Amino acid sequence: MNMAKKLQRMKKHISREDSPSAETKKTVPPAIRQWEKWKDAGAKLFSFEEEHCIIQETHYKLDYKHGTYTFRDAKKTIDDWAKFAGEHPLSAKGFASSDLYFFDIETTGLSGTGSVIFLLGTARIHENQVTVKQFFLPAPGNETALYKKFLQETNYTTLVTYNGKSFDWPQVKSRHTFVREKVPSLPDFGHFDLYHASRRLFKHTMDSVKLVNVEKQHLGLERINDVPGHLAPIIYFDFLERGDPEGILEVMKHNERDILSLITLYTHISRLVLDVESQQDEQTALEVAKWFEAAGNNEAAREAFEKSILSDQKEVSIDAAFRLAMQYKRAKEFQKAIPLLEKTRMAEGRYSIEAAIELAKLHEHQFKNIEKAFFMAKWALAHTTESAKKSLIEHRLNRLEKKLSKLGEK
Amino acid sequence: MWKKTLSEIVSELRGNENVIHWHELNPVEAKTCPVPEIVDERLRSALEARRVRELYTHQHSAFKAVRKKESIVAVTPTASGKTLCYNLPVLQAIAEDPTSRALYIFPTKALAQDQKSELNDIISEMGIDIKSFTYDGDTAPAIRQKVRKAGHIVITNPDMLHSAILPNHTKWVGLFENLKYVVIDELHTYRGVFGSHVANVIRRLKRICAFYGSQPIFICTSATIANPKELAEQLTGEPIRLIDNNGAPRGRKHFVFYNPPVVNEPLNIRRSATVEVNKLAREFLKNKIQTIIFARSRVRMEIILSHIQELVKNDLGPKTIRGYRGGYLPKERRAIEKGLRNGEIIGVVSTNALELGVDIGQLQVCVMTGYPGSVASTWQQAGRAGRRHGEAVIIMVASSTPIDQYIVQNPEYFFERTPESARINPENLIILVDHLKCAAYELPFGAHEPFGPIEVEDILDYLREERVLHYNNGKYHWSSQSFPAANISLRSATQENVVIVDQSDVANVKIIGEMDRLSAMTLLHDEAIYLHEGVQFQVEKLDWEHKKAYVREVDVEYYTDANLAVQLKVLEIDKTIDREKAAIHYGDVTVNILPTIFKKIKMTTFENIGSGPISLPEEEIHTSAFWLEIKDEEPEKSLEHVLMGIANVLHHVVPIHTMCDRSDIHVVSQMKAAHTGLPTIFLYDHYPGGIGLAEHVFKRFDEVKKAAQELIKKCPCQEGCPSCVGMGIEKINLKKKSIKLLDQF
Repeated sequence: MNMAKKLQRMKKHISREDSPSAETKKTVPPAIRQWEKWKDAGAKLFSFEEEHCIIQETHYKLDYKHGTYTFRDAKKTIDDWAKFAGEHPLSAKGFASSDLYFFDIETTGLSGTGSVIFLLGTARIHENQVTVKQFFLPAPGNETALYKKFLQETNYTTLVTYNGKSFDWPQVKSRHTFVREKVPSLPDFGHFDLYHASRRLFKHTMDSVKLVNVEKQHLGLERINDVPGHLAPIIYFDFLERGDPEGILEVMKHNERDILSLITLYTHISRLVLDVESQQDEQTALEVAKWFEAAGNNEAAREAFEKSILSDQKEVSIDAAFRLAMQYKRAKEFQKAIPLLEKTRMAEGRYSIEAAIELAKLHEHQFKNIEKAFFMAKWALAHTTESAKKSLIEHRLNRLEKKLSKLGEK
Repeated sequence: MWKKTLSEIVSELRGNENVIHWHELNPVEAKTCPVPEIVDERLRSALEARRVRELYTHQHSAFKAVRKKESIVAVTPTASGKTLCYNLPVLQAIAEDPTSRALYIFPTKALAQDQKSELNDIISEMGIDIKSFTYDGDTAPAIRQKVRKAGHIVITNPDMLHSAILPNHTKWVGLFENLKYVVIDELHTYRGVFGSHVANVIRRLKRICAFYGSQPIFICTSATIANPKELAEQLTGEPIRLIDNNGAPRGRKHFVFYNPPVVNEPLNIRRSATVEVNKLAREFLKNKIQTIIFARSRVRMEIILSHIQELVKNDLGPKTIRGYRGGYLPKERRAIEKGLRNGEIIGVVSTNALELGVDIGQLQVCVMTGYPGSVASTWQQAGRAGRRHGEAVIIMVASSTPIDQYIVQNPEYFFERTPESARINPENLIILVDHLKCAAYELPFGAHEPFGPIEVEDILDYLREERVLHYNNGKYHWSSQSFPAANISLRSATQENVVIVDQSDVANVKIIGEMDRLSAMTLLHDEAIYLHEGVQFQVEKLDWEHKKAYVREVDVEYYTDANLAVQLKVLEIDKTIDREKAAIHYGDVTVNILPTIFKKIKMTTFENIGSGPISLPEEEIHTSAFWLEIKDEEPEKSLEHVLMGIANVLHHVVPIHTMCDRSDIHVVSQMKAAHTGLPTIFLYDHYPGGIGLAEHVFKRFDEVKKAAQELIKKCPCQEGCPSCVGMGIEKINLKKKSIKLLDQF
């Protein structure tokens, strides 16, 4: 039986990959088909060792408003970081606005070596305009040209992404491996990942911090006529078949919107951190404070916690009080910690048992007030329901009891 | 209580009238060579600390050959120090150049775990910073990155290589750039469908190595089979040097054939092998002699286990006799292996799962319930008993099947025969297409790039038309959103396993095991009795759609046995040999398989005490078949029995000649074949696309025919019995007619 016939017969047993069922044609190699349409869209061609990549540049004035901010606001925000004292993961201190590359990619599938990146997009904020630059792979097998051009024109030590740490950049590294002999190598990269920032600040108000949702809820953006991102692979495969750039130009528009949103989102989050007035609600303010704490910027964290304690929302106020108390404890300012812990304990909220235990520790070890420590531990035991916690507290109580009886003997 | 020693039981056994053959293997002295001069001092002293002062001849030859950059296969019996055949050259290479990397491939996770602890012992004695890690489904995500970056020796299994390492090769650049050695242990297990898959995985591995500029040497080890060199060359695509000068010592071994007594003279029915095995095993176990009992199926294994536990419960604690088979959870198996090594477990009843090199130490006695199906597999199981010094006993208890009877009555056949060949067919179209997809996913596929011995461009074009690949500039690129390795399982035709859920305790529902889909059809259907560690469970519901079987513990007097209905259509005849009154064909067929009913069989008497229907969807496969056709339009009525009889015999004889499992081939006889209306016996590969077994039988039919005729002739029965052609119903001279009919082919 010949191979073709056999393949037809076995078809049912050969596992299938989901793919649209349109008829196929032989692909015409290298030259870019329907180049006229690309040209009309303003695209340029880059060629290297008989491989090609298509480059599209789009410019925006600084006064262009994308969502709630203009790009001028964005530029100012980046400059404002220079005035900010201390550490912060988003701090652009030391960078000019044009140093940052807002970055997003489109791929043919989820992570894995066989998933191809067919579009790399960046945006930079220059003195007078914002420039979006997109690098498009006209067909697999042109990746040398794609990465050559992309790496030439991008400073990948200052990327701003949405989940780029775990998706975009590993994927770039993976595909780069295929052409690494012919293009510059990829050193370590610096990174602002706005996904993690968004999770921190918005997850208490949102079920999903997908970029489109964040745009809608926080950036005043609504996507109209946008190609959903998950259709991008199918559109790309269709482009490979037919060579008509129409659909791809839509995907590029989508990618461009994503990147512009990164500028707006960076601006928005930076403003939340930089000026207290911009914080719409007190929970967000507290999250900003916790972020300072996580980043090791204790000074800024304390200042922010102090503000949060004044909140009318009891939860926010108590959360802040407990965290500030722990700050003081670590700094060995025990006297300052006591009233905050008392406040937390008396609130009988999420942290009250924790606070009572902390009080017991401080009274026992720092102030040597065993009776007070015993009282606190007893109180904690009476209020806890978790059995694991209970046994720990009982252990503490036993020890305190021994100490007490020793004291009594004396 | 006074206990008998092994030699006392052995001399009692000599007088047993059911022992029909006694074969003694004399002790063999060790043959050794000095450790080669060039071996690193630290490695040398680590070996000395393990009391290795000299190398066995085969270890020495392996080391020399690998140093000359030759790929090898070392054929070694159980407990002959085979691991040193690869650990020595690999550790030496890393000691010389710390950038060197090695990849160890074991057929199962359990073997990989064993190997890691053994390897790490040597390494810590060497005092060199060599990192060896296992990389499998159990590896914690947190340390995966460390394994990728820093592992000198990465220990894995073919499934993991296929689905996790190769498709993510860009995360393993360090390994692939510096890969010096690929170790394939238990080479003989890579046969049939599994082996055919693995050969393709190795092709993919070599492509990726070539991309990163490395050209690893392959070091394989194998149990004794007829064609280790051929198999290794087929699997690795490299020229291979065979190392078979085994230098390990061996103690005295008694190999005993035991035939249960005839209980029904005219029908030639013998007492059940299971019953005899229980008795024999009990004798050893109650004298605290460490014994392994092999059973041919999971059900049989569980039945024997429960019987023996019952028999010795007054002599030994319940935890000292354990069951062992695939489908037990890994933790359970690790505990059993450990118990055997340290002697806490006296007896283990196992399926062929313990044929593999899982480290359980060396036991004193091995009892096989029936002929394991191949010469190679018999020696493997026998190898479980026998220490380097001291006596060991191996008892094979024959069942009534034709082949068992043939083997025990013709001992020279077994002892003089070279073991079987292991066969793979990496060019099976379905398997090949699967792996070409994975390969193209991993690296774009060049239009003229080789992938094994056959031209694959047709297949690449087919995949392009299916829009799975995109052709550009001389290369085929992956162009689908999916991840092809995820849909491809190396172990069987069917992808998903059925998970077994124990809901005896409603508050504590737990998963107790799993089973492949085809086996589940006959073992886990509604109302089936499923045995697990000697405990009976009844299947309350088989949820076929979600691949879950819900079971509940029961205590009943029976087990269940399912029947399959099979339909067969010839699609295409590839080859034909014409005889005067008959013809032999080879070609492609469609088979439809449908489980129909199950029977309840009483445990003590094996009588049928009831039955029930099974309602599961039909499975359809296209496969290769071999068939015998009789050119007789108006056959005698008795022919039907003759055909069934020959089919029965072939189903027993063919697995011996092709070294496959009995379940890998199916034999069906038909009075009127659908395509010709002629009386026909079909024999087909039970795997979509075929794995070369039917073709092998077609090529060597003369040999198969002769063996079948011999078996019928030598069977002591008069008119046919279940041990040969089956029951002769009336006086139709079934045996003679069968032999005569076979002569026509």
